[in-house]
Amino acid sequence: MKRKKIIAMLIAALMCAAALTACGSGTSSTEATPSASAEDTGSDASNATGNPTEDSGSEGSDYSYITDKGELTIGITIYEPMNYYDENGGLTGFDTEFALAVCETLGLEPVFQEINWETKEVELSAKTIDCIWNGMTITPERSANMSISLPYVKNAQVIVVRADSGVTSAADLIGKTVVAEMGSAGEAQIAGDEADESLAQADYIGKTKQTDCLLEVKAGTADAAVLDWTLAKSMVGEGTDYSDLIMIEGLELASEEYGIAFRKDSDMTEKVDAVIKELANGGTLDALAEKYGLSLAPALTD
Amino acid sequence: MNAAIIYGRLLESFLLNCKLFVVTLIFGLPLGLVIAFGSISRFKPLAYLTKTFVWVIRGTPLMLQIIIIYFVPSLVFEVYLWSGISGGRFWASAAAFIINYACYFSEIYRGGIESIPLGQSEAGQVLGMTRAQIFFRVTLLQVIKRIVPPMGNEIITLVKDTSLARIISNKEVIMMAEEYTAKGLIWPLFSTGLFFLAAVGILTLLLGYGEKKLGYFR
Repeated sequence: MKRKKIIAMLIAALMCAAALTACGSGTSSTEATPSASAEDTGSDASNATGNPTEDSGSEGSDYSYITDKGELTIGITIYEPMNYYDENGGLTGFDTEFALAVCETLGLEPVFQEINWETKEVELSAKTIDCIWNGMTITPERSANMSISLPYVKNAQVIVVRADSGVTSAADLIGKTVVAEMGSAGEAQIAGDEADESLAQADYIGKTKQTDCLLEVKAGTADAAVLDWTLAKSMVGEGTDYSDLIMIEGLELASEEYGIAFRKDSDMTEKVDAVIKELANGGTLDALAEKYGLSLAPALTD
Repeated sequence: MNAAIIYGRLLESFLLNCKLFVVTLIFGLPLGLVIAFGSISRFKPLAYLTKTFVWVIRGTPLMLQIIIIYFVPSLVFEVYLWSGISGGRFWASAAAFIINYACYFSEIYRGGIESIPLGQSEAGQVLGMTRAQIFFRVTLLQVIKRIVPPMGNEIITLVKDTSLARIISNKEVIMMAEEYTAKGLIWPLFSTGLFFLAAVGILTLLLGYGEKKLGYFR
């Protein structure tokens, strides 16, 4: 009698677990459903049908790997204006809409996967994402390790400080605390071979996310943050959530451009480049750039 | 932003924590028992190996283990394990949690088993019971009674540890709250504490009830 009870309880526990697992799997996906999507055909599908143990260390075609899957897994982080959630909880932003347009042309299902920025290259090599498409600055080191698309948007690194701090140049920040996102181009301006002279003499603290940098400056635990101009423009200043912060006027470190990164030697890049050119010529990119207040890269506007 | 929408999204992502919790217990509890048998085995090499394994797993941070389990197969061995299955990120963190918590559970089981007086198994042998019979009919039930408090501790720790899964970008409740922190809204992050508090409260009640039911000699 006791044994039957134990077995009955075990089965009940298993059933509960099964029920919980079933209701958990429908909602607990980190893959966001974009709101502005013409092909919103149940894009919550997380069934990758690719061959997981295919020997892709050899030069197996990245393009055929992705098209066999039918999905392009896009690594993103959430920040305005590139990829962010609007009030209804739908994913939107310049890179989001850009990616949707490109995937539609290529006939692929876009799957937006949030990642940690400092491990983005690792995620790409590990094939847990197929591309990094989140306002990623093109640098020589990145170009050496990954295959990068045509530059599509112009950017610069700017310094954000509190409006009442009185800081007007990088020289004012010598010996102060400066934050940036780890693994970002902003960090390279502070701590690295190409660092700006004054900033290299500041105390640097790395953050996991660019947006955490804004929080630190607002809270006063850091004196300045070095960030993408595109982000600062969108999230800092009057009318935004960070209205007491400002960008230092006229100070732009390192003009740079954004690109989309694919695995090293990937053949996907040229396919995507072709589509980017198409979209640029057709005016789609101009419309998007205007919508989000960005400037297209010179390569596309010629 | 509407507080109801925010709480709704936080709750949705908390389900991921719950799912991870349940999966870890389902597989970790039995695995812990297996590892405990290995630790107390009379076959010395096996005991030695198991104890070393437990030392390594308990001796390294769970965060590190999650990262290793997620990235090493594909980067070092080129076995693209986690990208090939749906919800790969979740199962990678589940695997790390299961192994880690099984090792902690195994030590609790071992302590419970070794605390049963030797006289019990001797009595069983006198009655002609096999070792398996002695274990399942005499020892195990007493062990269960004894280990409920320390197990309760580990289980409650597990509830909160589940948020470590965000190190490989599983969107659990704290990662979801951080999305709002990015916009300068910090109260969602603090309110995640409420979810954990509620979960641990329910568990504490259940564990207390279990202890009472098992304390039939008190």
